[in-house]
Amino acid sequence: MGTPASTTRLRADAQSRGRKKRLNSFALVFILPSLILYTLFVIVPTLGSVYLSFTSWDGISDDIRFIGLANFTEIWHSPRVHNALKNTLILTLSLVVLENIAAIAMALLVDKVRWFKNLFRSVFYFPTLLSGVVMGFVWAMILNYNFGVLNQILQAVGLGGLTLDWLGNPRYAMLSIILSTVWKGAGYYMIIYLAGLQGIPSELSEAAGIDGANGWQQFRFITFPLLAGSLTVCMVLSMISALKIFDQIAVMTDGGPGFATETLTYIIYKVGFGELRQGFGTALAMVLFVLILIVTVIQVKILRKREVQY
Amino acid sequence: MLIKENAYRKIQPVFRSDYTERGLKFMTKRNTLTALTLSAALLLSACGTGGSAQRSGTAADGGDKKVSFTIGYAAGDPAARKAIADTVQRFTEANPEIEIKDLSENSSSSYLDWLKTKDAVGEFPDLVEMRDTEVFADAGKIVELPTGLLDLFDSPPEVEGKVWNAPLVLNSPQGIIYSKKAYADAGIGELPKTYDEFIAVQEKLKAGGITPLVVGGKDIFHMGFWVNKFLIDDVYAEDPDWNSKKTNKEVSFADDNVVQAMTDYKELFENYVDKGWLSTPDNQTASILVSGKAAQLFSGTWMFTQIEEADPGFEYGFYAVPDRRGKVNVIGLPSPAGWSLSADAAKDPAKQEAIEKFIRFFFEPDQYAQYLASINGLPSTKEKVEYETGEAMQVALDLMNDPDVTKSLAINNWWGENLIPPQFRNWFYKKLQEMVVANGDVKTYMRQVDEEYDNQVKANAQ
Repeated sequence: MGTPASTTRLRADAQSRGRKKRLNSFALVFILPSLILYTLFVIVPTLGSVYLSFTSWDGISDDIRFIGLANFTEIWHSPRVHNALKNTLILTLSLVVLENIAAIAMALLVDKVRWFKNLFRSVFYFPTLLSGVVMGFVWAMILNYNFGVLNQILQAVGLGGLTLDWLGNPRYAMLSIILSTVWKGAGYYMIIYLAGLQGIPSELSEAAGIDGANGWQQFRFITFPLLAGSLTVCMVLSMISALKIFDQIAVMTDGGPGFATETLTYIIYKVGFGELRQGFGTALAMVLFVLILIVTVIQVKILRKREVQY
Repeated sequence: MLIKENAYRKIQPVFRSDYTERGLKFMTKRNTLTALTLSAALLLSACGTGGSAQRSGTAADGGDKKVSFTIGYAAGDPAARKAIADTVQRFTEANPEIEIKDLSENSSSSYLDWLKTKDAVGEFPDLVEMRDTEVFADAGKIVELPTGLLDLFDSPPEVEGKVWNAPLVLNSPQGIIYSKKAYADAGIGELPKTYDEFIAVQEKLKAGGITPLVVGGKDIFHMGFWVNKFLIDDVYAEDPDWNSKKTNKEVSFADDNVVQAMTDYKELFENYVDKGWLSTPDNQTASILVSGKAAQLFSGTWMFTQIEEADPGFEYGFYAVPDRRGKVNVIGLPSPAGWSLSADAAKDPAKQEAIEKFIRFFFEPDQYAQYLASINGLPSTKEKVEYETGEAMQVALDLMNDPDVTKSLAINNWWGENLIPPQFRNWFYKKLQEMVVANGDVKTYMRQVDEEYDNQVKANAQ
């Protein structure tokens, strides 16, 4: 038998646990519909894909043959996959760096500018509203060798020697995709950085200014470190989005010329649907999934370390 | 943070009250029920949508006895698309008890992708223009052409001893569509009789300051026009069973004849093709030709309509490019392609009857003539079909009727033992693009191609 005080405490603890349990059940009720749908439409197909990656299924017949690790062995030895992986990494690295630099620059501009603030915000944000397909068509038209605006402007200003087949030259095709994707994506990350900038107390910059810090020093030692939270979010989001890039490539280059702009997501679609090798395509998707998982975990761990609380 | 903590303290006592405890119990029960009902409703509505979608495809069970079926075809060529859509409209006007739902919102460059996507989402067309017949027949997606329709055609091609398609047209020859003005300006009075003379024509055009050839290399199927011209000249004209020999490793892509074909292809593309060929889609080639940016286009008879629509006043001619010995070899053998019935549609007698009725209507001479005239196609029916043809189309017909002209097929249009791995064609054409762009050694590239072909055969055998 315990003392009355301890009995009361035990009763209170039991009541508290009961309440917590009820609250948990209550929360579960709310998430149940989403959980069921998510399980049905995401988890179950994903688990099904794991199985398909070990088969030679062509995607249309009922004949699904288990072939063990053959797809993964082929991935390991395939020069086409190696090329797609290389393209994916080039594209991802370039997009993560350029999109974030452009987004921070635009956020700083719209944060500081006194005039036409809303106009700048709208102009910078507008491209993000376009779908990748629409954006791809627009840029494909601009960059078209024979009828494109860019080459016509170059010719009109007497720089006809600089006209290029921007999307047909392997050297420039990837660059064209990178720059057009930065144009489309940077506005989205600008909003996140802008929110971050507006959360930084102005007193810090003012104090630094009084101490003699110039604009660059204020950015380097105050603004940028305090944007670390936004940076983590934007870097992870832009990295995932870059690894999954598809629409622009499908519309602008179809992975070409040759295989010059073929990425992992594009090759997954091409082999899975166009080349009737669903099993192999699914195995590639599994590889991409693991790749995104590893890179994201590493990226978050590194970036989290440098986040500053104030 | 301070504000949040205070707010939490204010909220806690409210939750501690007995009233709230009882209310919470009631709310929990009620919300459990609500949530479960909601989940069930969502799931059932999801199932219900699928069910109704399925039912809408087979309207025969309704009281009005209206039969409905879906149709899918390669709609990349606007003229062909309009011709089929017009025939569908005329048919449904004449047969109001039959409804046809046109699913074709694709481009011909991605037709296989589109068809496979439709299959994956359970919307495989009931009546489908089939190009990869053997693959879909093996997968059990299509059925044999009903015997009642076989009498429409003159010995249509058989796959595994069975006829699967009602051929929309016969394969027509491909060749050079040239601007008469550009030829006249370059002083070209006579058409080339050998491949070397053809190259001399290209030199003259180039010297005259005009780009000799436009190529729509952005669309991978367009690459096949030139590639197959050279393959037919150097490989298939001599050996129609070359593909099966390749599959059995009796011949190689690195053999001299294939290397010669691909060397000719590479040299032509390096020297005489428009600089923007890799980013030019097929549907821009007619505009480039009629605008005078290029003097020639290598394509098929279906382009005549597009060219005339782009500029009705444009004067053009057509001829087949001869090989080095002066022999003319063209695409022209029949291949198993055309309208096919889906296996699902064949399970519904009312639907099958409606589809058969449509196919008969499509190939009625009056109807079929309009379709053929729109696309400059060659008739596949037994019954004579007459329509007005232009000068260029007459050349194509003469080629088909000339016994001295060798008729062959593109690398991917053979079937049976000569069927290539389905994934090979696009890979091969892309590799050839890369070879030109990288100025690669033809022999080295052909060894890589050979290795890839063997790998794909092996992969497909698993």
